[in-house]
Amino acid sequence: MVSPFYILIVGLGLGFLLGLAGKKQAAISNLLSLLAMAFFTAISAHWLLGFLSGNLQAETVFSAGFKPPYSISLFIGLHEAALSLLINMLGFFTVMYFRKALLNESRKLGPVILVLFMALNMLIFTRDLFNIFVFLEITTIAISGLVLMDDNHQAHAAGFKYLLASALISAFYLLGTVLVYNSTGSLWIDDLLATKNALNPMAVIAVFLIIIALILELKPFPANGWALDVYQAAHPGTGAIVSGAAGTTMLFVLYKLMPAAPFISDILVGVGLVTFVGSNLIALTQNHPNRLLGYSSIGQIGLIVSIIGLQPYLGEKTVFVGFAILLTHFFAKAGLFWLSGMVGKDKIQDWAALRRNPILLVLFGTFVFALIGFPPFPSFFGKWELILSLSANGQYYLLGAVLAGSFLEGIYLFRWLGYSIKLSFDDLHEIKLSWEKIIPVSLWGILLYAAGIYTSTLMNGLVGMDYLPLIFIALIFIIDGLPAYIKNTIAIAGMLFYSWLILPDLYTTDMLRFIFAGIFLIGGILTFIAGYAYKGARRGFYPVALLMYAGLAMLIQATTTLEFFFGWELMTAGSYFLIIRGKKSMPHALSYMLFSIGGAYAILAGFGLSFAETGSIALSSLSQISQMATIIFTLLVVGFMTKTASLGLHIWLPGAHAEAESDVSPMVSAILLKAGVFGIIILMIAMGHNPETANIAYILGWLGAITALVGNLAAAFQEDAKRLLAYSSISQLGYILFALAMMSHLGWLTAMVYSLNHFLYKAILFLTIGAVVMKVGTHSMYKMGGLIKNMPMAFIAVLIGIIALSGVPPLSGFAGKWLFYNAVLDKHWYFQGAIVFFSGIIAFLYLFKLIYSVFLGQLKDNLRHVTDISVWFAIPIYTLIIGIMIFSAKPEWVLQPLGTMIGQWYPDGALAWNGGMATSAYGYWHGTGVMVTIGIMFVTLLTWLLVLSRKAQKVKQFNIVFAAEAPQRPETTHVSYNIYAGYNKALGWIVAPKITEFWNMMTDWVHSLALYGRLIYNGNGQVYLLYVMAYFLTIYFLVF
Amino acid sequence: MDFDLKRLGFTLLGLLIVLNWGLLMSAIMRKMGARVARRYGIPWRQPWVDLVKNYAIRSQITHGVMFYLGPVFRFSGGVGIFLFMPMIIGSKLWLNYSFQGDLVLIMYFQFFGMLGMALGAGEGGHPHSAIGISRGLSQFTVIEVPLTLAILSLAIQYQTLSLVDIVEAQQGGFQNWSMWTNPFATAAGMLAILGIMGHSPFNLVKAPNEIPIGPPTEYHATFLGVLRTNAAVLHVVEAALFMNLFFGGATNWFEFIIKTFLIYFWSVFVGVVFPRFRIEQSVSWFLKVPLVLGIIAIILFM
Repeated sequence: MVSPFYILIVGLGLGFLLGLAGKKQAAISNLLSLLAMAFFTAISAHWLLGFLSGNLQAETVFSAGFKPPYSISLFIGLHEAALSLLINMLGFFTVMYFRKALLNESRKLGPVILVLFMALNMLIFTRDLFNIFVFLEITTIAISGLVLMDDNHQAHAAGFKYLLASALISAFYLLGTVLVYNSTGSLWIDDLLATKNALNPMAVIAVFLIIIALILELKPFPANGWALDVYQAAHPGTGAIVSGAAGTTMLFVLYKLMPAAPFISDILVGVGLVTFVGSNLIALTQNHPNRLLGYSSIGQIGLIVSIIGLQPYLGEKTVFVGFAILLTHFFAKAGLFWLSGMVGKDKIQDWAALRRNPILLVLFGTFVFALIGFPPFPSFFGKWELILSLSANGQYYLLGAVLAGSFLEGIYLFRWLGYSIKLSFDDLHEIKLSWEKIIPVSLWGILLYAAGIYTSTLMNGLVGMDYLPLIFIALIFIIDGLPAYIKNTIAIAGMLFYSWLILPDLYTTDMLRFIFAGIFLIGGILTFIAGYAYKGARRGFYPVALLMYAGLAMLIQATTTLEFFFGWELMTAGSYFLIIRGKKSMPHALSYMLFSIGGAYAILAGFGLSFAETGSIALSSLSQISQMATIIFTLLVVGFMTKTASLGLHIWLPGAHAEAESDVSPMVSAILLKAGVFGIIILMIAMGHNPETANIAYILGWLGAITALVGNLAAAFQEDAKRLLAYSSISQLGYILFALAMMSHLGWLTAMVYSLNHFLYKAILFLTIGAVVMKVGTHSMYKMGGLIKNMPMAFIAVLIGIIALSGVPPLSGFAGKWLFYNAVLDKHWYFQGAIVFFSGIIAFLYLFKLIYSVFLGQLKDNLRHVTDISVWFAIPIYTLIIGIMIFSAKPEWVLQPLGTMIGQWYPDGALAWNGGMATSAYGYWHGTGVMVTIGIMFVTLLTWLLVLSRKAQKVKQFNIVFAAEAPQRPETTHVSYNIYAGYNKALGWIVAPKITEFWNMMTDWVHSLALYGRLIYNGNGQVYLLYVMAYFLTIYFLVF
Repeated sequence: MDFDLKRLGFTLLGLLIVLNWGLLMSAIMRKMGARVARRYGIPWRQPWVDLVKNYAIRSQITHGVMFYLGPVFRFSGGVGIFLFMPMIIGSKLWLNYSFQGDLVLIMYFQFFGMLGMALGAGEGGHPHSAIGISRGLSQFTVIEVPLTLAILSLAIQYQTLSLVDIVEAQQGGFQNWSMWTNPFATAAGMLAILGIMGHSPFNLVKAPNEIPIGPPTEYHATFLGVLRTNAAVLHVVEAALFMNLFFGGATNWFEFIIKTFLIYFWSVFVGVVFPRFRIEQSVSWFLKVPLVLGIIAIILFM
């Protein structure tokens, strides 16, 4: 094995030599620094590869060949090799990143960086207490040097505060070391660990002093004001080092020394989680990117500290969990700091400039999603294992704290991401791309994905996962510069292929999954066809759209809760990027994401508790839950309800669906909402037999009914066409929730029919209205009107859509209504049923308003020349119309297989079929017969009227009787604005925005808390020192 | 096939009877209203004369395709309800096509005509059409609340949604009528019918003083003829629905005529006495007493 002393020698030696170099040797000294770091990296890589392949064994090296306490011992094992590789890679790329500064600065940064990384390496290897102190000091001085590199007042102040705090921390450490030596006579850590149970009281306190120094070095909340000032004032490259390299190293030193102090593990957990939650909370109101990243770093490191402290609970998973989160933090934080250096501005809103460089934007998104804990990044798997272990050990408060802290982090990170993707700027400043900055950041992004993929192979819950969709997405991403129609064709071909792969199997094995897979995949293909109407390259659309569909596909094929959650998060990520593409979508996408993350964490907690009770992560194990059924069911159903936008969790939907692009709205409204429905169905199948779920189902029934009412009523008062349809979706999903909650055969049949129907007619309506909006340029219905003349195809589509939605026979919506009646009578849920029926009637209000305001009435002058909707939208629309027609004409083709499928869970109460006649316990219905009867009658009457009025003259637009006046302009003659004013007066109180106010109040409350908490950071270095001392004393008294 | 033609024949005959009875009934009501106001009233033949006149008018204009569909949808709505409604119980011949769908079909088919009319009138481009339609829709949605509750209550009581079965359960004397066995549902339903028939106090939709122009003026000639034809059929058929639900149905045409007349007369009677409601007033009104009556009707049979 290559001796680690080489690192020490080269580092120290070159450091001193380069210090003698002058300005003229700047280029050479820069090159030498780079080579030295490359050398360090090569050594670490050699070790790691040796360990992984089994060639090398862990080894302890003693200096000068003597044994301790006469020499210093260094230990190189797998962990040390991995961590030193990470740090050295960071060092190498830091030297690259700082190239300009190194070449220009006469302050000889090169040696500083070299010595710093040498010290960090040694800190990882050494097993001598005093040695740690020495290298700790070197690290401190080197970092101060880097901080003071900038020549401004803030940097000077920050550097000075850092020195002050570090001095105090080093003092604690040295005192501890001295006392340990006094008590045990040795400075070797291994000696200390061997005698840890036989320590005398002074030694215990000495160990405590050492540990507390290390904790303080890791910047716990609230004794970390000095650290935040450092992060804010220093160059972001330094921030990357402090956060990535120094943080990692200190964590490892803590990890090394922790076994000596078993009494400290509870405190570590507390310290860590308080830091995690507190830091992320206070970060909410932060606007300065570097300081924000500082809060985030401190928070993440706090989380890892708590994971170290949770070792008694996590057992052998500690290293996996800690390393997964550490790795993510390492890559993402360094990447973000480097990006910050490239942007070079003081406000996070200025990061909108990233939009000019798509690669940087993608990297920013990657790092943000990695930090939150989305797949495929390592933090996803780390958090999964952490939550499962915490649940299994009954640590519910800790679980809650971890999820709360993660959620808070999600708030500010996604706000930031939203700014960069969407915030409008009149002059976006140019970000100069130089190779020395772009290479490290890009490489860090790629390594993050690689690390994630590698971690996923270690998870035994993912064995059945199909990576094909993700590979396909990566390929599409590479060719993202091509024109849209090429990518569209490839995407459709890919989805067709995937459908061919999985649908035939599902048809024979699992009808439920077949139906939902059909909705997701075939619906996806149809909405993609509409994408041909878009010109240009449509950058960034296809990878994320396919990501959403990949997530949906994974959801269908999941056999373990991990796969299910993996698919759920992928779907959320893809849909976020799709939604934020709309022109005014920034706040709505944030709202959507936060509700989604909240719901996802509820699902995660539910799965964790399920694992705790059954010990298995198979999806089928959900049916074995008995003790914690209520809480698990509630958590999971609430999580799914954030996706189906049930009342209380619905405020994101109108904005998100209404402002999305024309072909995205049908994707998210008609298709994505069904993912929540699918989840609820799976949940109810697994846990429905449990008696406790009957109570929850009763509540869900009322919730669904009221959601339906509020959604439809709110839709009637909208002036924006897409918002109207969005509220309508909320209501329809309320129907479906109500029907599912009935947990009877007819109820579920109703729910499945409604799901299918909603997919069909909502896709038609959103596609058509989206196409109309594309032509007309506005969402407001009162600005449209009379478009039946210009857009007959669109009119017919909307007409069929609204007839189907309203449930008027003979179209397919009536099937749902008939089933609903019978289901309500069967279940005796009369009052909820009456509310749902009332809401169904209210649907007529907005359906009429939609078609009348847009297509009938008076044609406005500025719209006289609009042409019919794009043929690329018309193709999927009319395909879906054919689907509705087939369903309407032959409902038994759909209802009979559904009945058979549902019969396996609810055998009683099925419909009896006699040819086309369906009979239930209460009534009967012959779908085809009704359609034929009505069809013949209608055609007869129409023909008769046409014959009678064959000599009628067609008149022009304003040829109406107007009480002896002439109508002036279309705008004054088209009645559309607030036509339900009377209704609003009578019933408008039902849709008062109380829930929106509630969530706004929650947001304000959390922000106030954050603002209040920020007050402890008043910038005074002496006060910060006081905090450090107070923290020390507090922890001391907590421990002893 | 043989039976089908026979059924079709009797259905068409029934439609003819209903149409003529509807026209006669409207003449009776108009005459009664006039006599109350101390006028002589129209001659008996007037509704027929009006129809013939409307169909015979030669000059006619149209605003577009949907304009045609308005009256056709409306008339289809009326005829459709007729088709799916059993007229005379006890005879297979006068049951029309009620074997194809139950009460739910009839209830939802009421919207067919209304929706189509709304679309057709909207095509005319007249602003007052839109005002009228929005009022009509607003009112209709709340009218359905007590009606649905009443029907649900009946369905629970008789354990069926089949109109034929409900009527047959009411046979065997006055005491079996839903009027006596389920008075609250009857009350809720009879309050709902005031709204359906469209007389005062719920006639804001087509109120002549409010909307002097709009659908009645835009629709003329054969269009108006179709709408008037439909009005005749629809009133009878709606009354027949309530007859079947609450008053024991009809076993012969004589009983049919008497009962539909009385039910329709109830709405005219109230209309003559009371003034008009505004929309928010009528919406609130239906969600007070009728709603409570409907709720009680359900509770009693739960």
